[in-house]
Formats: sequence, structure tokens, C-alpha cells
Amino acid sequence: MIQISIYKRLKNYKDLMLVFIWREFTIRYKQSFIGILWAVIQPLSMMLLFTFVFTYIKPVKFSNYPYVLFLYSALLPWSFFSSSVNYAVPSLTNHYNLITKIYFPREILPLSGIAVAIIDFCIASLVYMVLLAVFRADITWNVLWFVPLFSLLVIFTVSVCLIFSALNVYYRDVKLATGFVIQLWFFATPVFYSIDKVSLKLKLILFLNPLTFIIENMRRCVVEGRGVILWQFALELSLTVLLFFAAYRYFLITEKKFADVI
Amino acid sequence: MLSDNLSIELIQLWKKYYRENLFHRSLRDDLMNFIRPSKNKSLLENNEFWALKDINIDVKKGESIGLYGPNGSGKSTLLKLIANVTFPTRGHVSVNGRVAPLIEIGAGFHKDLTGRENIYMNGAILGMTISEIKTKMDSIIAFSEIEDFIDMSVKKYSSGMYLRLGFSIAIHSEAEILLIDEILAVGDEAFKDKCIQKVMELKQRGKTMVIVTHNRKLMEKVADRVVFLEKGVIL
Repeated sequence: MIQISIYKRLKNYKDLMLVFIWREFTIRYKQSFIGILWAVIQPLSMMLLFTFVFTYIKPVKFSNYPYVLFLYSALLPWSFFSSSVNYAVPSLTNHYNLITKIYFPREILPLSGIAVAIIDFCIASLVYMVLLAVFRADITWNVLWFVPLFSLLVIFTVSVCLIFSALNVYYRDVKLATGFVIQLWFFATPVFYSIDKVSLKLKLILFLNPLTFIIENMRRCVVEGRGVILWQFALELSLTVLLFFAAYRYFLITEKKFADVI
Repeated sequence: MLSDNLSIELIQLWKKYYRENLFHRSLRDDLMNFIRPSKNKSLLENNEFWALKDINIDVKKGESIGLYGPNGSGKSTLLKLIANVTFPTRGHVSVNGRVAPLIEIGAGFHKDLTGRENIYMNGAILGMTISEIKTKMDSIIAFSEIEDFIDMSVKKYSSGMYLRLGFSIAIHSEAEILLIDEILAVGDEAFKDKCIQKVMELKQRGKTMVIVTHNRKLMEKVADRVVFLEKGVIL
């Protein structure tokens, strides 16, 4: 039912959505000297920093393959998530001018930010491929899991962005909190560490964070050649889809008051 | 349902606003309504006021009506309700056809984009498709008379150029219903005349219009009928 309503809402606004995505992409790198390279600089610099810390300052061995690969494989999806949230949360309040004057499905605003993050993700993936080739990672057929896992990540990201962008219309606290919540969330997600060696009890706690499952497995399936446990994936998928429906419903209910409240 | 020859029908429309920031209040309301939805919406609570009271207006297809009244009389709120941007506290709004709100021209402009890029942006916001914008591009630029600056970013535009471009995009929309809020006062005399002429031409082509302006002479020229509003009530 709700899928039909999303389709019906967005069908007539396909071109508006495309123009928004194009615009976000254009203005992001307008008057910038290195332009699109910024999409790779963020994950790359984080990768160098953490590699430096865990190689020279406090040598820790997280994996039996290069730490650079270990890190980049998780930084890639993480950067997608954090840049989506950072863009989407203030997206509605930033377009105050449009929201109080013209009707269009409001979810176009956060969604176009996520779409730009997907483009950035693709660009950063090219660097990933170079790294995989340089460090001679053993790629197996399990690499195909990357696609369903990424889809899961997108659904989860969209849900989070819908809820918090709508909430930010009411409470600007959301925008103020985003920065440090994202920072905390980063440490709660196995990006620079792995959950492989932690105790079962701790594992269960870490798995309360949906990104733990997604990001850990995105690393396993590519650089470690491991598969995803099917029932776990099915469970995570159903929970995420449920979250998405709830988030979208919440967005549609609050949307009616955006223009009065913003 | 709306009968075929009507474009806009407003039935017993009431709109309530809250004087202070209503943000946490309204979220609390939502939660309360969720639990017990019986709250009487027609009573005014502390600090609330009616922006519109019992408004009934029918606009026929191809008709132009003017809204006239002092500041704060509810004209813009009425336009927002027709544009589906906000929703009535009580009553019904029925609209037949696509609405292009020509409210505050250039609301969709982004200062870092060029004039041409902003045509895509604003055109899409007004409901045009990309291919439609492409075919109308030359005509939009020609009407605005700013060909020489069209590939310059709009932050360098003068306010007159800004308005010219915004108006030019707006009148190229295919929408059946145009909401025109104080935008006929754009640019220099020559351009203003050209805009009024264009609006008359659109009227002849059968577009429905709702016009808000403080210029009585202009109002009499363009509108078939004028509705006088004061403090949210039709006089």
C-alpha cells in the first residue's frame, strides 16, 4: 500500500527530483578548485589518520591483511551514511523559502541529498577498486553481497534521514545534535575495529546498531571473501523495511504542518 | 467533488494560527490527538487567532479574481491554502488543475547558479518537465531581456534582473491556475507594462487567476471580480 503511495507521490515530480539532484551536485563543487576530488578526500584522509595511529602510535593488529584495506572497506559505507545525514537533516529547514510557498512532495529534499551521497559513494568506490588491486585482495564470489548490503544501507539511511529531517523542522536541536551524535555513532560502529574478536555479550550490544551488521559485512564480503549469514540478512532486512515504513508514515503525517511550523 | 466549470472552491474555510512559536506545542498536540482525537478544533485557545474565518469563494474556470485588503487580512494565507502548502483548520479547499504560485518570484533561485541553471531549477519547481523547459528556454530568456547575463551566476544580478527572470519563468508555466501575489510591480515601467500585457494575454487564453495587489487600478484592469478581506473575513 505504502509503496504505491510513494510511487504516486513522486511519479509526477520525477523531473523536479532530477533537477534537485543535479543542483545539489553542481553547487557542492562550484567555485571549488579540486571539485569532485572532495568526494574521495574525506574517506582517504580518515584512512591515513587511523592507519598512522594504529601503526605507529599504538600498533594494533586488527587483521591479517593490510589495515588500509580493512579501514577503507568500512569508511566507504560509513562516509555515505554520515554525509547523507549531515546533508539531509537541515535540508527541509534550509529550503524554508520553497516550503512556505510551493507544494511538492517534501521528501524530495532529503532524498536528493542522499542521491548526491550515492554519487560520491560511487566515486569513492573507484579508489576502493584501486586499493583492492594494489594490495592484491583475494576477491571471491561473495563480493556480490556488496550490492544487497549497500541497498540495505540505503534503506536504513533514507529512514534515518526522513525521521530526523522532519523532526528538525520542529526542533532545531536535531541539527545541533547531529554533529556529535554522528561522531558517537562512528565509534559505536565497527569501522576502525572489528567485532570478530569481541565477546558474544558485547557483540549483541553492538548489533543493536544496524550499521554494525551492514558495515561489518560489507568489509567481510569484499576483502575477507566471507559470505553473509542468510537468516541474519533476512532479519536485518525486515527490520529495516519496517523502520522505513514507520519513518515514511511519520514524515507524511508531520509534512502537513511543515509550512506552519518551520 | 468539484463540478467541471469550477476551478477553485473554498467552503467554510477557517485557518487558525498561533502567535508564539508553535513548534513543541504542535508536536504535543499531534501526540495528544493520536491518543484522543476528540479535541474541539473550532475553539480558540490562549494566544491563538483566526487568520481566516468562514471563507466561501468559488472561482470559475478562466475567471480572474482579485483579493484586496490591508496587510494581515489573510490574503497570503488564502493563497497558501489554494497552493496546498498549508491546510485549513476547518472547511474544504478543492482545486481543479495544476497551480503555479507566482508568489515572491525567484523563491527557488540559488545564488551560486547561473541564470540559465536557475531557469531549470525554478521551472521544475513550478511543475515543468525538463524537456518542456528546454523547448521554452529561448522564449523565457527572450522575454526577460537579459540575454547578455544569462550565463552569469544570479548573485551578481541586480534585483530588477532577478525579478525579470523570475517572472519570465513563471508565465511560461503550463499551469491552469495562477496565483499572483504582488508581483506585477516588477522592474521598470516598460517591463511592468509588458508583464501586465502578458497577464492579460494569459487571461484571454483561459487561465484562472487569483491576484493580490495593492494597486487598485491594476486590480480593476485584470480582475473580473474583487473580494475584499479584512481581519480574515470577507466584507
